[in-house]
Amino acid sequence: MLVEEEKIRQQLVERFGLPAEKITVQRERRIWADIPAANFGEVFDYAVDKLGFVILATITGLDEGPTLGAIYHIARESGIMLNLHISVPKDKPVIKTVSARFPAADAYERELVDLLGMQVEGLPPGNRYPLPDGWPAGQYPLRKDWKSDTIGKTEVTENA
Amino acid sequence: MPERDVKLTIGPQHPMLKEPESFLLTLRGEKITDMTVRLGYNHRGIEKACEQRTYIQDMYLVERVCGICSHSHSTCFIQAVEEIAGLQVPKRGLYIRTLVAELERVHSHLLWLGVAGHEIGFDTLLMYSWRDRELVMDILAIISGNRVNYGMNTIGGVKRDITPDQIPQILTAIDTLEERTKYYIQVGTEEITLRERLSGVGKLSKEDAMRLGAAGPTMRASGVNRDTRRDDPYGAYGELTFDVITDDHCDVYGRTLVRLGELMQSYKLIRQIVRSLPAGPIAVKAPRKIPAGQAISRYEAPRGEDVHYVKANGSDKPERVKLRAPTLANVQVVAHMLKDGYLADTPIVIAAIDPCFSCTDRAIATTNLDDGRKDRMVWPALRTYSIEWYSKQGINFTELNRKLRTMRESN
Amino acid sequence: MAEALFNIFVFPGFLFVAAFGLTAEYIDRKLYALMQNRIGPPWFQPLADFIKLSAKEDVVPQHADSLIFKLMPIIAITSILTSFFYIPMWGSNALFTFKGDLVVVMYLLTVPTLTYFLGGWYSRSVYSMIGAARCLTQLFAYEIPLFLSILAPAMLADTWSLSGISEYFSTHPWTILFNLPGFVIAIIALLGKLEKVPFDIPEAETEIVAGAFTEYSGRLLAMFRMAIDMELVVGASLLAAVFLPFGLHYGPAAGFALYLVKVLFIIGLISLARTIVARLRIDQMISFCWKVIAPLAFLQFLADLILKGVIK
Repeated sequence: MLVEEEKIRQQLVERFGLPAEKITVQRERRIWADIPAANFGEVFDYAVDKLGFVILATITGLDEGPTLGAIYHIARESGIMLNLHISVPKDKPVIKTVSARFPAADAYERELVDLLGMQVEGLPPGNRYPLPDGWPAGQYPLRKDWKSDTIGKTEVTENA
Repeated sequence: MPERDVKLTIGPQHPMLKEPESFLLTLRGEKITDMTVRLGYNHRGIEKACEQRTYIQDMYLVERVCGICSHSHSTCFIQAVEEIAGLQVPKRGLYIRTLVAELERVHSHLLWLGVAGHEIGFDTLLMYSWRDRELVMDILAIISGNRVNYGMNTIGGVKRDITPDQIPQILTAIDTLEERTKYYIQVGTEEITLRERLSGVGKLSKEDAMRLGAAGPTMRASGVNRDTRRDDPYGAYGELTFDVITDDHCDVYGRTLVRLGELMQSYKLIRQIVRSLPAGPIAVKAPRKIPAGQAISRYEAPRGEDVHYVKANGSDKPERVKLRAPTLANVQVVAHMLKDGYLADTPIVIAAIDPCFSCTDRAIATTNLDDGRKDRMVWPALRTYSIEWYSKQGINFTELNRKLRTMRESN
Repeated sequence: MAEALFNIFVFPGFLFVAAFGLTAEYIDRKLYALMQNRIGPPWFQPLADFIKLSAKEDVVPQHADSLIFKLMPIIAITSILTSFFYIPMWGSNALFTFKGDLVVVMYLLTVPTLTYFLGGWYSRSVYSMIGAARCLTQLFAYEIPLFLSILAPAMLADTWSLSGISEYFSTHPWTILFNLPGFVIAIIALLGKLEKVPFDIPEAETEIVAGAFTEYSGRLLAMFRMAIDMELVVGASLLAAVFLPFGLHYGPAAGFALYLVKVLFIIGLISLARTIVARLRIDQMISFCWKVIAPLAFLQFLADLILKGVIK
């Protein structure tokens, strides 16, 4: 039944020597993989170029306590989704951009920057999203320790 | 003498925009040489709010992300939660969910047709198509009690059943709508001014559509044959037959034809659902605490693919909820489509992606008019502020609520 | 003297044209609504709009040229009114007539378009400047066909006076049919002059807010809107006088009734055009006018020239 999904899992395990228990086939058309941040670039490129995962659905950012996580949800035209999860330390949350391959990732990565405080290397200059320009620095709303009354009453300037 | 470049800001408030967003155009005469998009005006912090509410509360919250695509967001979210909890929604529930989904698609596409007509100065099309839209809204009101924002879903299935006397009403309405849609297809293909305004405008090649990540009818009008209902089936779509409508025009005219074609397919689907509605329960009971796990759910909303990610941690509140609405994917394509276009085409090109910025964004900045002080208010503070303000005017809500309750009980 | 004042201010002057203009706007909006399956406004809506606008504050933008900004609506109304005095309503004599008044009337009817342009340009806001530019661009597109199509019957009648034209055609009624193609062209060109769909490009609400009128409000906007309503009536009257000059010898009462019917018929055609098509883009409009309408108007002109030779 899950022949194709298992095949993809095998290919990832063999090609990159990833621990088998870190890649799970949750159900038909859903594969979840935990990738070490260092390997991410080549795994991503392999999945997109060689395994046919040409659609980037979105990028989810997570606050995992001591680390910040990012899940890249990529899909095949036939419907199979591969969800690649990486973690980076919270005090140095640097990831590389994928917007060269997927221009649409620009908005998704800016969300990570604005709401979680990640740093995305290689992101082209542009307007921030979704927070307004005058948003105080160092305030990352999606982090677990950020409460909505943290912002208090501060002077804000509006968007251009 | 060289023409000077003029910078024109469209937005955040503008007659052509139904929701706030900002497009900064650089014009030379009537031609657009550059464009940047700015979003975030409707950001309401919904993802964060979801983490602080229970799953049932989140269901109501997510439904209100957007008025027209409310069922899309609600279903997409609930599908993810049901997958984590391992719930098997009964067939009848899935069919009813799909029925409302297709009715919502009909409603949305008819609305779009009217908006597109208005943007090109064709108000007659607006009036006719919105008159027909009333038919589908009446059906939705009969089924769910509301014209938009239906509240049909619950975790584990649907809340309301379809009664036998509703079925003939649905079928009659669909018959009328199908005839009207055939008329619009005729208008679309034969009316010269319509074709002139919509053809060659907002061009998006097939390669660009795939590279830039366009979604929904925008992408299908460039010949990209993808539809989540067929590629990653959910709900009852696995058991229903329908065609995916694509077009090769690669412009706004193509997007119009695709949406009209999708309307015809929706009527086909609605008839299939209503005629083969399985018997049985409409929901299973869902636990309050969802076991730890994660799921990603995809849904073909009228505007394109809607993606929801949910992570559960065993409590009654989700750990993380991520919503990606289709318009976020499409709006980045708009800049590309408008380059080297005309200013006059801006409204229709923006309208052609069927933007729903409420879906896309989800902080209130206030300016105190008396002293010009700028503030940032959070929701509990805003609520307290408003209650205080009203009590200064002599309106006490607690008292009013008590009176209302006694009035209801005495009746 | 008293009669002259009566003519200027009451009939067929300001009050008459204003009242007729408001009525014409009502009929236009009502027909538009009925064709769209709606109910439409009540009869007093245009009057109510006018009164409401007049009661509101005029806001003159900071950077606008105040004098021109305030002067343009007045000039628009006065030039339209002045041109109306030369248009025959019943009988073949207008209130005033002289040789060559056709040219003067056409010129006076161009002045409102110039006032829209100047008012928009000197408002100094991006939307109004784009609208003003479009106003003038559109002028270059429809003026030639409009002039040519009106000049054709004038040339056939061998006179430059509107009253003379009416007189000629009422004595040679079959020639009216000959000019019907010109009539159709004139109506299309009139749509451009009145800035109605498909040619309402200078005021495209969904693109440039309100075009040249974006910064106008209050009494000044009320005057501009009155000017637009008057332009509708005067334009329709001009077309009725040039292309439908029949039944002019049945006396004033019947003649006036017939005049009303003709003008309302033309307004009805304009409403129909407004309902059934979408707005064109400026480049499409120019292309259409120069490649289709202008050549046809020229052909009509040639046809009249030939006919004149034949008659002689």
